[in-house]
Amino acid sequence: MNAMQTSILIIDDEPQIRKLLKVTLQAHQYAIHEASTGEEGVQQASSLCPDLVILDLGLPGISGMEVLSLLRNWSNVPIIVLTAKDREDDKIMALDNGADDYVTKPFAMGELLARIRAALRHAGSSQHDPILRIGGLTIDLVQRSVEWHGERIKLTPTEYDLLRVLAISEGKVVTQRQLLQQVWGEQHQSTDNHYIRVYIGHLRKKLEEDSAQPRWIITEPGVGYRLRIRDE
Amino acid sequence: MNSGLRGAHDMSTIKQAGMKAMPYGSVTILIGIMTAIFYSIGLSLDLVNIALLFLVPVLLSSVLWNMGSAVYAAALGSLCFDFFFVSPVLSFAVEDLRYLISFGVYLAVAILTASLSARLKRQLQYSKQKEAHTAALYELSRQISDMTDVPSLLKNILSHVSRVSGTDIAIYLPDHKNQLALFQGSDSQEKWGHGEAEKAMAKLAFDYGEAVGYGSRTLREAPGYYLPLRTESRVLGVLGVHLEKLKRGLTMEQQNMLEAICGLAASAIDRVKLADEARIAQLSAESERLRAAILDSVSHELRTPLAAIIGSATGLMENDPIFTPEDRSELLLTIREGALRMNRLVMNLLNMAKLESGMPHLRKNWCDAEDLIGVALAQMKDFQQHRVIQVQLPDHTPLLVGDETLLEQVFVNVISNAIKYSPDHSEIRIHVHVHPSSLDIVVADQGIGLDNEEYERIFEKFYRSQATKHVTGTGLGLAICKSIMELHGGSIKGSRNSPRGTIMTLSFPLQSYSNQNILNS
Repeated sequence: MNAMQTSILIIDDEPQIRKLLKVTLQAHQYAIHEASTGEEGVQQASSLCPDLVILDLGLPGISGMEVLSLLRNWSNVPIIVLTAKDREDDKIMALDNGADDYVTKPFAMGELLARIRAALRHAGSSQHDPILRIGGLTIDLVQRSVEWHGERIKLTPTEYDLLRVLAISEGKVVTQRQLLQQVWGEQHQSTDNHYIRVYIGHLRKKLEEDSAQPRWIITEPGVGYRLRIRDE
Repeated sequence: MNSGLRGAHDMSTIKQAGMKAMPYGSVTILIGIMTAIFYSIGLSLDLVNIALLFLVPVLLSSVLWNMGSAVYAAALGSLCFDFFFVSPVLSFAVEDLRYLISFGVYLAVAILTASLSARLKRQLQYSKQKEAHTAALYELSRQISDMTDVPSLLKNILSHVSRVSGTDIAIYLPDHKNQLALFQGSDSQEKWGHGEAEKAMAKLAFDYGEAVGYGSRTLREAPGYYLPLRTESRVLGVLGVHLEKLKRGLTMEQQNMLEAICGLAASAIDRVKLADEARIAQLSAESERLRAAILDSVSHELRTPLAAIIGSATGLMENDPIFTPEDRSELLLTIREGALRMNRLVMNLLNMAKLESGMPHLRKNWCDAEDLIGVALAQMKDFQQHRVIQVQLPDHTPLLVGDETLLEQVFVNVISNAIKYSPDHSEIRIHVHVHPSSLDIVVADQGIGLDNEEYERIFEKFYRSQATKHVTGTGLGLAICKSIMELHGGSIKGSRNSPRGTIMTLSFPLQSYSNQNILNS
């Protein structure tokens, strides 16, 4: 096995999904390890130290959620969870419990690959650069200024903070709760999410060509938002 | 309550004794007064007149009271007449035998009038009783005619009968194994009827369909009276009356009354049961029809994409070398399309099941209409081909309250319908209108369109219009939309677009929230 290859551990009880992921991800030059149960997955994660874990939340035996918290006890490895579409609460719980991102089944392979790349990118970057450059977006964290395709954009402080939080996690989903806490502070409840709605609307009007069909600030219904710039 | 009843009973016996003595006292007083008056006037009145006047108390008492008092009045009257007026005065001796005839006439008049008036009174009382019975029965039947469930019907009958008869009542109904069981009505009726003996008697009445117990042909010494609740064709239960409390047992009228009530109860129970059976039959027919429709549309909707997927996949596997790269990507696209279509169907079915089984809870978040439209449009990207989708929003759109994933489903279904039923290159307009208390989202296409009356029906589950038979679909999408909109307190309506196509209007109630508040804070 090539030592330079990025290794991914797949924890899923469905052989067909494992096979699909293995074939496709190997074709994209990832080294693949498989586990069919939660126990096996935790064990392999500790012995192999993979660069990324793909974890199915619907595991028999110990649940995906338990595996997630077991892994998070000792590891910062990026974890992408696989969930069913209509389980928003599971998605949010997984993200709050330390998952880096999620993909709903059935998923398009391109979507999963983009999530994997974003998660690996964030795990590798140290984020000490005071200037964020993401595609056409430049954010000067010291000056608190934003340029969009070379043009300075005027943002209110709240809009700026919102964009900054999304941009730091670029490509990754940010839950509504994370946004509330990081932009408005701890005291806000998730019922206050109308703040987010209003300011996301403002940001889109300033950044998007057509705010009704946004290309950059993507809504993940029931979960949160995602800034998508590099993979476009 | 028991001692109270007994007290009332004692009171009534005293009253009855008083009532019995009263006529005699009154007659005595009346005759005494008449005698005193006539005697003081002396014999200025003709004896014949006095004799006639002494008929008055006889007539009075026979009309007002009873035969006894009339005879008593006759006897007393003739005695007084004899003693005070017939010579020798102040003696019972009679000189003239003719006066004996007037005694006889007194008695005859007394007996005749009394018996006549007694008969009249009896008839009056009888018809009054009849009227009371009829009124009571009418009242009961009116009360129970509106009732649509057996328990409340029985409770009503129980309380009615125990009020009329003044004793404990029990109703026995057969359970699903046809074993009689005591109906557990309201609290006060449960004191009696639990015993095995009562149940056995009730069973007898149920099995034979005839009255059992007190005064009937079977077990007439028993302390209960058991009447079957029977219609012409079947026995539906048994009504038991506890008789130990009633010292004098049941009167004929009470028995008749009970029988009439039992007849009423039986037909009411029968009516409710028949209505239930009819409803169940209708429901099962409905669900049968629904099941056929589901099978029909779902099997078609599942098989078609499956056929495409399996066909393309096996084609790719078996004949790999002969395909050009374009063919290959075409087949792969077919596979993806088929799978996506199946995924939509499965999502719809799951959503329908979820909605039908009752949502555990509707998540209430603030949602932005623009955001919801955007999410739905993002899903339509591959599907819309060259149709132009125009979105128009006012500058400030108030937020909605709702479950965004469910609302996303509504928008996806409505917009995908607009795409599905309209030709490529046509235009689809999505407009948002803000009203003082509601927000309307209008999706207008230039597609097939339907007749006006059909826009009512398209929200029914599995309904497919004849005009759209050539386009595949299950008839689930709009039914789901309607359920979701109603969950949110909103509505969805369809209408014709001019010159052609369909306009779907989603109307949401606006909560007491305005953008202004937040922008200012």
